Amino acid sequence: MKRQQFDHISLPYLLIAPQLAIIMIFFVWPAAQAIYQSFMLEDPFGLASQFVGFDNFREVVSSDHYATSAVFTLVFSALVAFLSMAIALLLAVKADGIIHGQSAYKIMLTWVYAVAPAVAGMIGTFLFDRSIGSLNHLLNATGWPFNPQLDVFDASFTVILVSVWKQVSVNFIYFLAGLQSIPRAVREAALIDCRNGFRRFWTVTLPLLAPTGFFVLVINITYAFFDTFGVIDTMTRGAPGGGTATLVYKVYQDGFLGADLGGSSAQSVILMILVLALTVVQFRVLEKRIHY
Amino acid sequence: MKATKTLLAAAAGLAMLGAGAAHAATEITFWHAMGGGLGETVNAIAKDFNASQSEYKLTPVYKGGYEETMTAGIAAFRANEAPNIIQIFDAGAATIINAKGAVYPVASLLNENGVPFHAEDYIAGVRYFYADSKGDMIGMPFNSSTPVLYYNKDALAKAGVEPPKTWEEFETIAPKLKAAGYIALSQSHTPWIFSENFHSRHNLQMANENNGFDGVATEIKYNNEHMRMHFSKAREWQQAGYFGYYGTKWGDNQKPFIDQEVAMWLGSSGSFGGLKSAAKFDFGTTNLPYWNSITKGEDYTTFIGGAALFAFSGKDKAENEGVAQFFKFLTKPETQFFWHKETGYVPITNAAYTLAKETGYYKDEPDAEVGIQQLNLKSAEWNKGYRLGYYVQIREVMNREYDQIFAGTKSVEDAFAAIEDGSNKLLARFAKTVQ
Amino acid sequence: MKNVKPLDHLILMLGVLFLLLPIWIAFASSTHRPETLLGEGLQFWFGDYFWETYSAVLLDNSGFTEQVNALLMLENSLVLGLGFSVGKIIISTLAAYAIVYFRFPAGSFFFWIIFSSLLLPLEVRIIPSYKVVSDLGMLNSYTGLILPLIASATATFFFRQFYKSVPEEILEAARIDGAGPFRFFVDILLPLSRTMIAAIFIIMFVVGWNQYLWPILMTTDESYFTVVMGIKQILNDLEGNRIPQYNKALALSILALLPPVLVVVVFQRWFVKGLVESEK
Repeated sequence: MKRQQFDHISLPYLLIAPQLAIIMIFFVWPAAQAIYQSFMLEDPFGLASQFVGFDNFREVVSSDHYATSAVFTLVFSALVAFLSMAIALLLAVKADGIIHGQSAYKIMLTWVYAVAPAVAGMIGTFLFDRSIGSLNHLLNATGWPFNPQLDVFDASFTVILVSVWKQVSVNFIYFLAGLQSIPRAVREAALIDCRNGFRRFWTVTLPLLAPTGFFVLVINITYAFFDTFGVIDTMTRGAPGGGTATLVYKVYQDGFLGADLGGSSAQSVILMILVLALTVVQFRVLEKRIHY
Repeated sequence: MKATKTLLAAAAGLAMLGAGAAHAATEITFWHAMGGGLGETVNAIAKDFNASQSEYKLTPVYKGGYEETMTAGIAAFRANEAPNIIQIFDAGAATIINAKGAVYPVASLLNENGVPFHAEDYIAGVRYFYADSKGDMIGMPFNSSTPVLYYNKDALAKAGVEPPKTWEEFETIAPKLKAAGYIALSQSHTPWIFSENFHSRHNLQMANENNGFDGVATEIKYNNEHMRMHFSKAREWQQAGYFGYYGTKWGDNQKPFIDQEVAMWLGSSGSFGGLKSAAKFDFGTTNLPYWNSITKGEDYTTFIGGAALFAFSGKDKAENEGVAQFFKFLTKPETQFFWHKETGYVPITNAAYTLAKETGYYKDEPDAEVGIQQLNLKSAEWNKGYRLGYYVQIREVMNREYDQIFAGTKSVEDAFAAIEDGSNKLLARFAKTVQ
Repeated sequence: MKNVKPLDHLILMLGVLFLLLPIWIAFASSTHRPETLLGEGLQFWFGDYFWETYSAVLLDNSGFTEQVNALLMLENSLVLGLGFSVGKIIISTLAAYAIVYFRFPAGSFFFWIIFSSLLLPLEVRIIPSYKVVSDLGMLNSYTGLILPLIASATATFFFRQFYKSVPEEILEAARIDGAGPFRFFVDILLPLSRTMIAAIFIIMFVVGWNQYLWPILMTTDESYFTVVMGIKQILNDLEGNRIPQYNKALALSILALLPPVLVVVVFQRWFVKGLVESEK
């Protein structure tokens, strides 16, 4: 950062104070408490607590259900990110090539961004309902004995579908913007050099879109980790067999519903470390982009 | 001119505030988990209580499901914002009862606030579940229910069978129901009906330390031959098309019964009111079946399920008096009878049960009496209840494993080994927190 | 490139259909009676009970205080959405200004503290957060509802990136004109950020409106219930006993998604710009 700056002794502190105060009170302090709790064993009502070192972490890591949840989170995130990005990219490429009606398509493809995950989850619940769900009936009619209440695969299918549905819009916006920022000259040159549209996409467009793609990937992983909470809570609540509980949902189940503060705090801390790693990666890439 | 008007208005406002304060009723808050029609009934009772006197004003707040309500209460207690009364469900009883000093035991609260308490007033099945090992009641039983069998009369007539008393009988009628085009059975709460009440109905021990009443339990006894036998059978029935397992949600398992796909449904005696409005067919109610091979002909009682009301400690004397008055109002025979009639939950006092009998209610609705009759069946060593820490998560563990049994992805033996292991770990953790 | 490509249109139409169909079914079904839905499943075309369902959901009071209806919940969601977005914009424009335009020793340290708040979403630190809010006596208040949500630095981050992209010459020119930090901010930087502010306002409004778990834990007073909370409650009620009111549940979901969707559709340009700019 080589830009010119003001020199003023007190003003910057004054400007940053409100933000800093809110972060200290409502983020740093509670987060510090979560870290502290992760080393303590405490009864739910907070009447007695004792220091247990890394016991909570050991129990979390050695638990089968935590492993199940970690694996599900990985698969779920990968699939949600991949599918919603693939669909969005396809739509963005097609929308980019169209002159008439592009803005209408843009509106029709972006509004889903505003739907709350919990609302999407509730509508999804109804669509997949055993007795009234149209999608359930449709899938059964295809010969798939669709049973999300019992079958982990089917249940995962429902939460993945709704999560993808919810995320296509955002990805579409980024990809379209990414495509449209490719200079006209480059596109025209590519058009002359390479007449096959499919090959042109793979050899010219996709590499140029890679930085956007990476950024979108990180956003999608974050989304799949955290923002799908509402979808899972309204649709499966982690069932069947604990097979659709993401790590965040498990923190909620154990700490919030199960009243095990120490154990769930340890899970929170593990998540914190994961997100930290993710953020470092994101930052690296963002920095690169700025110099790109 | 304008200024004086404003001043006058302000003065009038202040005067009114003052007047209001002089007569202000003591506010009592009550957090509960009764949604929908049940919530409306709770609201009706609260309004009646408020109308019946002017010293206290009770405000019920619906906090979501049982787990959410308990968590909200715990969070509020930790933040010194606890309500006066909180509804805690059976699985959470150990958590709140073991929190020494967090709750004001109901027996003492009543006695110390001018409402004499007599344990004998309460029906036997209700008396001990929320009491300590000495028999002193800690929570006030509220919505008390027990699992019963509902059956579609048309379906059973079509198959030419009678509702089963035992699981052995069930095995003989299930094929006939299937031939008549029905799945014979579904049930809505595997941990509650097929696990906890399975133990009571067959008088089997659930956990060490006298099911957790005498001390903090550290060993669960679920991994026993009878449970494994029952679940192996249930899995066989499921594969033969006699038993439908629709996941862990209550409504998902009840709906096929309402839709007449399933001929018999194991639900709560408290489901009666709702079922009556939803089912478009004639249905009957009878006791939860048991294995004759296990009980050798004995017909043991079931546990009282549902939830109880707990009073948080550390409140003003005036507020506690209000809570005592509300409990007194709640246990009046008339209130209990109203609650019983509206919801199907059992009356918790002998006087209320007598009143219901005297009014001839059971002549018109014999099914409404099944729950309470079942709770008055023979009681032996292991029918008083259970008190197990982190039991909400233990149920979660059970649900996860049962899901896998019925999805066919895990053997009954492996599932029960996992339940034993997971539950004992949780119990050990809980034991550490309360010592 | 200029010729009409039917296949491309077909793919785009399918995309539109994929996104629209669930909402279409939800809306169409909400205009039927619950008995119809229970008997025949969800509906693809409209029924005759639009007014009946929606006026009941919007206006029929429920709850102990007899004050809770969807209209009140929508109002609360509006307050939450607006309070959240306005609050966030005010504190984050100021903070980002300090970080980008001032040289002060603790600057980068503060930046990292603020930045750290992106690490942990509210869902996983919710119980300690609840305790903090109640210690401050903010339970059951809009302040308590909104402030902890503001404690995430997303908007600060956006504005920081945006300010960094403002050409240096502007500051130089302003300095030559003798503008101090205050005048530069109010007269030059804020007007320059207008579209950015609008964009972030829209995004944050949507985020605030859609909050789910926090309001559920935070509020015990029925008069603070939001419409997304209503979704959770109505789902709990469906688990209950009576004939499930599918039509009302779906109507509530339509009411809950309509305002933020309208905002995003109407202010489409700003909103897209906001998202895209924030990426840089």
